[in-house]
Amino acid sequence: MATKQDKISFKKDAFGKNASKLPEFENHKQQTQKNTTCYMCACRCGIKVTLENNKIRYIQGEPTHPVNKGVLCAKGNAGIMKQISPARLRQPMMRKPGAERGTSEFVPISWDEALDMLTERLQKIRETDPKKLAFFTGRDQMQALTGLWAQQFGTINWAAHGGFCSVNMAAAGLYTTGFSFWEFGDPDWDKTKYFMLWGVAEDHASNPMKMGINKLKERGGKFVAINPVRTGYQAVADEWVPIKPGTDAMLALSLVHVLLKNELFDWEFLVRYTNAHYLVVDTPRKKGDGLFLRNNEGVPQSWDLEKECLVNATDPKIKPALLGKYKAADGTPLKTVFTIMTERYLSDEYTPENASKICGVSAEQIEKIALELAHVAFKESIEVETEWTDWTGRKHDKFIGRPVSMHAMRGISAHSNGFQACRAIHFLQVLLGSVDCPGGHLAKPPYPKHVAPPIKPGKKVVPGQPLESFPLGFPTEPEDLAIDDEGNPLRIDKAYSWEAPIANHGLMHMAITNAVAGDPYEIDTMIFFMANMAWNSTMNTTKMRENLCAKNEDGEYKIPFLVVCDAFDSETVGYADLVIPDTTYLERYDTISILDRPISEPHAVCDSIRAPILEPDRDVRPWQTVLVELASRLKFPAFTSDNGERKFKDYKDFIINYEKSPGVGFLAGWRGENGENSLKGKPNPKQWEKYIENKCFFEYKLADNHKYFRGANKDYLEFAKKSGFNASSEPIIIELYSEKLQKFKLAGMGLYDGPQPKKERDQFRLSRFFDPIPEYYIPLEHRCTFSKAFPFYAITQRPMFMYHSWDSQNAWLRQLQAHNYMHMNKDKGEELGIKDLSWVWVESNTGKIKVQVKLMEGCQSDTLWTWNAIGKQKGKWGLSDDANESTKGFLMNHLINEHLPCADTGSPVTNSDPITGQAAWYDLKVNVYPAADDEQFGVYPNFEAAKNLPGRPETKDVLRYNTKKPVRLSRSLIDILTKGGFEK
Amino acid sequence: MHPAFSVIFFTVTSGAGYGLISLLSLLNFLNLGMLLDKNTFFITAGVAIALFTMGLISSTFHLANPKNAWRAFMRFRTSWLAREGLLAIIFYPLIILYLFLIYIDFQIDQYFFMQAYSFFIFLVSIIIIHCTGMIYACLKTIPQWNTFWTPINYITIGIFLGSLILFFIFYLNGVDVDPYKYYLLSAIVLSFFTKMSYYFSIKKHTHNIRQATNAAIKLKSTNVRLLDVGHTGGTFLTDEFGYKVAEKKLLRVKLFSIFFGFLAPFALIYTHIFLFESIIICFIAICFAFLGMVAERWLFFAQAKHVVNLYHGAQNV
Amino acid sequence: MRLGLVVDLDKCVGCNACAIACKQWNTSGTSGSLTDYRPYGADPSGVFFNRIRHYETGNYPDSKTVHFPMSCMHCEEAACVTVCPTGASYKREEDGIVLVDPEKCMGCNYCAWACPYGARELDREEGIMKKCTLCVDRIYDENLPKEERKPACVMTCPTTARYFGDFDDPNSDVSIASSKRDGQELFPELGYKPVNQYLSPRKKVEIKQHEISEPDLVRKVKDWVNKVVEL
Ligand SMILES: Nc1nc2c(c(=O)[nH]1)N[C@H]1C(S)=C(S)[C@@H](COP(=O)(O)OP(=O)(O)OC[C@H]3O[C@@H](n4cnc5c(=O)[nH]c(N)nc54)[C@H](O)[C@@H]3O)O[C@H]1N2
Ligand SMILES: Nc1nc2c(c(=O)[nH]1)N[C@H]1C(S)=C(S)[C@@H](COP(=O)(O)OP(=O)(O)OC[C@H]3O[C@@H](n4cnc5c(=O)[nH]c(N)nc54)[C@H](O)[C@@H]3O)O[C@H]1N2
Ligand code: SF4
Ligand code: SF4
Ligand code: SF4
Ligand code: SF4
Ligand code: SF4
Ligand SMILES: [Mo]
Repeated sequence: MATKQDKISFKKDAFGKNASKLPEFENHKQQTQKNTTCYMCACRCGIKVTLENNKIRYIQGEPTHPVNKGVLCAKGNAGIMKQISPARLRQPMMRKPGAERGTSEFVPISWDEALDMLTERLQKIRETDPKKLAFFTGRDQMQALTGLWAQQFGTINWAAHGGFCSVNMAAAGLYTTGFSFWEFGDPDWDKTKYFMLWGVAEDHASNPMKMGINKLKERGGKFVAINPVRTGYQAVADEWVPIKPGTDAMLALSLVHVLLKNELFDWEFLVRYTNAHYLVVDTPRKKGDGLFLRNNEGVPQSWDLEKECLVNATDPKIKPALLGKYKAADGTPLKTVFTIMTERYLSDEYTPENASKICGVSAEQIEKIALELAHVAFKESIEVETEWTDWTGRKHDKFIGRPVSMHAMRGISAHSNGFQACRAIHFLQVLLGSVDCPGGHLAKPPYPKHVAPPIKPGKKVVPGQPLESFPLGFPTEPEDLAIDDEGNPLRIDKAYSWEAPIANHGLMHMAITNAVAGDPYEIDTMIFFMANMAWNSTMNTTKMRENLCAKNEDGEYKIPFLVVCDAFDSETVGYADLVIPDTTYLERYDTISILDRPISEPHAVCDSIRAPILEPDRDVRPWQTVLVELASRLKFPAFTSDNGERKFKDYKDFIINYEKSPGVGFLAGWRGENGENSLKGKPNPKQWEKYIENKCFFEYKLADNHKYFRGANKDYLEFAKKSGFNASSEPIIIELYSEKLQKFKLAGMGLYDGPQPKKERDQFRLSRFFDPIPEYYIPLEHRCTFSKAFPFYAITQRPMFMYHSWDSQNAWLRQLQAHNYMHMNKDKGEELGIKDLSWVWVESNTGKIKVQVKLMEGCQSDTLWTWNAIGKQKGKWGLSDDANESTKGFLMNHLINEHLPCADTGSPVTNSDPITGQAAWYDLKVNVYPAADDEQFGVYPNFEAAKNLPGRPETKDVLRYNTKKPVRLSRSLIDILTKGGFEK
Repeated sequence: MHPAFSVIFFTVTSGAGYGLISLLSLLNFLNLGMLLDKNTFFITAGVAIALFTMGLISSTFHLANPKNAWRAFMRFRTSWLAREGLLAIIFYPLIILYLFLIYIDFQIDQYFFMQAYSFFIFLVSIIIIHCTGMIYACLKTIPQWNTFWTPINYITIGIFLGSLILFFIFYLNGVDVDPYKYYLLSAIVLSFFTKMSYYFSIKKHTHNIRQATNAAIKLKSTNVRLLDVGHTGGTFLTDEFGYKVAEKKLLRVKLFSIFFGFLAPFALIYTHIFLFESIIICFIAICFAFLGMVAERWLFFAQAKHVVNLYHGAQNV
Repeated sequence: MRLGLVVDLDKCVGCNACAIACKQWNTSGTSGSLTDYRPYGADPSGVFFNRIRHYETGNYPDSKTVHFPMSCMHCEEAACVTVCPTGASYKREEDGIVLVDPEKCMGCNYCAWACPYGARELDREEGIMKKCTLCVDRIYDENLPKEERKPACVMTCPTTARYFGDFDDPNSDVSIASSKRDGQELFPELGYKPVNQYLSPRKKVEIKQHEISEPDLVRKVKDWVNKVVEL
């Protein structure tokens, strides 16, 4: 916020005069203010809630909070309407005996009954075959707890929503630079001069992004937006690049082409911080090809230009060759990583001319952007005068910044070539040297981590025992996969199988399909927490709704028991056998932990909590409390004392006392018996109180010499180790060349000494897509969808003022958008005889939908798009049956298949990135044509109206929320009769 | 603009009422009062008062908070609506006193005083109609209303309707005044021509979206189009100002109003005077004229486009 | 004093935060409640003082999208005030804020007709005309911390696209922003002299391109020409 405004005050006399004329509007004495953390979305801003008469008078941004510094978005401002939503669940419920699953017929039960029922069932599973419990969580942010719970339960079948959300971004970063776009990095908004936004409509950094754009604009920096659609942020971009969906890797690598061609890259940066000078064995189609040349200790080798011999690539005293082909002592041909890069990226494939054909962006524009990037990076570089020491011990008197920054999200992530596309964007940054430098893309502690973080996915399921490690981790070679000796997947979602080897976040989008198909095996109980898997967070929604109700011959459901924990009456709740009603975000304790997805800022380690603002007025309990309760009942080792007693009274107690490793707990602030330690320290019984006192957040500001080049910054690396962020203080080397990927590639080619895929399909996928340096390839669905039959790309965007499916219950937000349109390019629409606001059929390989179309200019010609998750099932979310969300609103998801629509894959294979298993939502190809004259109203498909849940309150036609009788303004009669000075 | 029936009824009846009373006072001023016997005079005045009273009452029907209606004349200094209200209220004692004096055959200094009083009543009633017209004409936000033809239309139509009623009453009473026949026909013609001039003039008064936004958007490009109103369920503004009628329907109503409002009454009265005298024809002429004027008033609203529509997707208003 | 807002169309990303902040503040403020109709039914609608519309200009691919927030402009020639028959509508002499006295309003809509900017909305439940108060109940509330004595919409705007202040004070944020960027009033033709001003989308930021000589890396790769860099 502009601070200058703080200075305005009204002329003293005028002020006095006015004040006397105005009534006292607010009685502050009858108001109280409490802090907590917003959860109208996952940005997690600090909020200050003013209460009056036990109702929320006003929610405002907490000005001192590191994330939002006082501002709030539309959702955050609409918290009141979420708190009074008629869709809130009111008590635990069980599917009505005899009622079919999916009919939303429930009977209320008590908490005791619900917990007993669940404990008994889970106990049995845990003692026999823990993997028969599949536990998946949607938009939650307490994966540290749910993951711990699953690990303690002993099931490998746990994941959060990351697999269909942004694992491509997280993985690409963590396998390249050690941090990422998404939530582990941010542009240096305070210094950057050139900002490129790749495929972002809103992002997790909702408010920070907007605050950042303001800063950039105030500085006169340039903002380039790469996006097929010009709405939202792209509207204020200086340059809009309407790219064809799925082709960003080509664009990024073509920019790389121009930079390389003109020698516009940072030599020092490459040599010092990356593996560009490492020597790679160059023996095509032979075992060992593409692996680093290593000495006997396994240290990668490099060619020293002065000594003219092989040297340890990580030895600080070398002067390594960046370019060239060399030979090992035994004559094995070698080339440097950078040579491999130049060979590929300087080839004709990546010329702007060729890229232009693929991306639909002109060659001139590509060339121009590349040269602008280089200009800002190298001719407008900035310096921050601070003494710091690099990992070799060398002292520097300043940080040199290349003020070019980028951010990318789902426009990149949600494609099956997204991992490589994201890596390609990181490559651009690395070439320009704008990684974790002033003005560049900054890491947020506890990131960067070593590439890749040293955690392997848990595999071994033993009845009655916890898993040996977390279910999710970072495979670096085929040995790490979760497959059995036959090569079959161990996990229900087939994460870490040959189908998706580096599926760091699991494949939640496959869980239902696989469980129902009994492939790889059948499960007993499925728990969904905070995920709307019967609607907007699933692919192929119509089919998935059938799947949830699918039965065996014996009449038993294929997913025998479905538990849904939600706070609201979502579509998925309708399918539950047992409904666990959660509190709202204003009614519970939560932690936003650095063990999870932290809220840190680039230069501060931050975490935060939620503290209840209101008492629940319903029979609901926080899910975290329920998890701790279940964990105690099931006697998980981490939750049970040595004497067999439960260790933690409740969630609060758990957070205070649980230590992941000595001194490291969920909360990093005010540790130590008296709260004297930060980051690490003994549990503090008054820790929650300390947080509440400090407006519910903790901020540890980094020392000036810790702020940049953290992967190679000695003092920072030591600090990170001491604080428990990283296991070692070794430098974090940026992996341009991923030997890890190459190992999988070799396995695919049958050249690996270790597990290798048996299916031809998997062999192909590994050898084709696991390229150690990024390349552009056509998204998988496009490879097998005839572009004649389905000529359009179809994508979605998030509206800034709605969070997925959550906000249609919000009386204020739904006024902004109660239904959505399918947007398309105006000229294109007219060419096809499609009229503005007419109804059209949109058809894919998977299904068809009937929707209303809106024509616009700011849309790439071959692209259709709509706002995500606006459509709703009739009767859900506390809405009436004639609500626009179900009569005119629609979901794109009906058209998207969870399997690739290709015939040549043998058995069905997931419609995901072949490397990470990231759901490929935006690979969708469709056709569009006008609906008949008698079809000109109403969406298709339509679902039967859901029954109202027991206890759902009657909603009135008129809503008048307020906390008090308003103090009115008034004008005196004299004034009315005599004044009139202003009329002329 | 959304045509509210209460407002249509108000403007038509009160216009006719004040038109009629203005004619009665004018007759007195011109010393022609004896054309009507006293009874008929009072009945006629009663009809006029009933007409504008009904109109005034109906005008309160569209108030969302009628309990404050009594405040409506407070801002007569600036508001035409208040002026209209205030004059309408003041008019009651004036007209009652006036009628009372006539009733008692008020004699003192009779000639000059009553002459002046009559003229005053005439003037005030015309001014009231003018105020009604100005309520609409003063709005710069509605180009179709913001023209001096608006109050002229209101006055000429008010007088025309009043004249028609008066003619009918003359006829019922067997009063046969030749000049009045010509006067009546010319009143019809006059109101017809002023109305046509209005229709002609509003074609010129338009604003476009560029005017409304361009100063702010200031981009080189030539066109500005609405992409999204930002509220899918409609708003007060779209309800209040978003009234849309098909051009065809407007044209039909226009023809209807011209036919029933002007042509038919003219033809009927002409027939009555020159060809075939009939009370029924006279009565039908009155009904047609009122019907036509209701249509004319409906059109007056339906055709009017508030500039706020420019922000809601209209390219011009 | 001439209090009002400046809205920067070059920064507004159309997020609606200001619109909802306004709704939130005012629903329990002096104009409260701001009624919502059919909140959970078909065509939900309600009283808002600040609405964001979205426009496009130009043609693909050179089209531009503009987000356009509009609330009361607190016009100097506020016809909404002059037409109001009851005197419920008024413009404060001391600061120019245009307000409605709800005790006096008769709900005739006339002022809304007179407003070219769609700034007035009738609350049908109460039968009262309502509008942006420039958060008069915040900006003069001496019990609020000084930095919070600002309109709710201005406080919340994440891109700082909204400024508040006194246009008569040349050193105020609004005056500075407006003079620096040539602030524009909306629809000047109508002569309402709106106080609020808009900053037009800026011209594209132009960045120099790096000068390039004959590209020679291809040759360097071939000849293994390296630059000596110490690790
Ligand atoms: N308000 C709000 N905020 C949210 C959410 C929400 O629902 N509402 N959801 C949260 C979640 S879970 C997530 S994952 C994040 C996601 O945040 P975003 O990454 O912003 O996600 P999307 O809205 O899907 O935006 C994707 C953008 O990429 C564009 N795009 C699509 N395909 C391509 C392509 O091939 N190339 C390029 N360059 N662009 C492309 C689309 O037009 C769209 O603008 O947002 C989070 N924040
Ligand atoms: N077509 C298309 N589909 C998509 C996407 C897309 O871009 N396009 N995006 C995908 C992405 S990235 C994501 S992350 C998913 C998101 O999909 P989901 O994670 O399923 O997100 P939501 O739809 O918001 O639903 C989560 C559930 O959380 C519930 N909830 C809200 N607050 C609480 C609470 O406090 N406690 C509990 N227990 N429950 C609560 C809501 O009621 C809702 O039922 O959607 C995916 N689906
Ligand atoms: S961005 Fe908005 S919804 Fe998300 S946490 Fe912040 S204020 Fe809340
Ligand atoms: S809050 Fe700011 S950026 Fe968002 S719509 Fe309002 S003015 Fe625009
Ligand atoms: S914007 Fe409209 S309501 Fe506000 S002062 Fe101007 S005319 Fe009146
Ligand atoms: S609606 Fe109220 S404020 Fe508006 S003109 Fe009528 S009386 Fe005045
Ligand atoms: S100044 Fe206050 S009342 Fe006016 S638009 Fe902003 S928040 Fe709403
Ligand atoms: Mo997501």
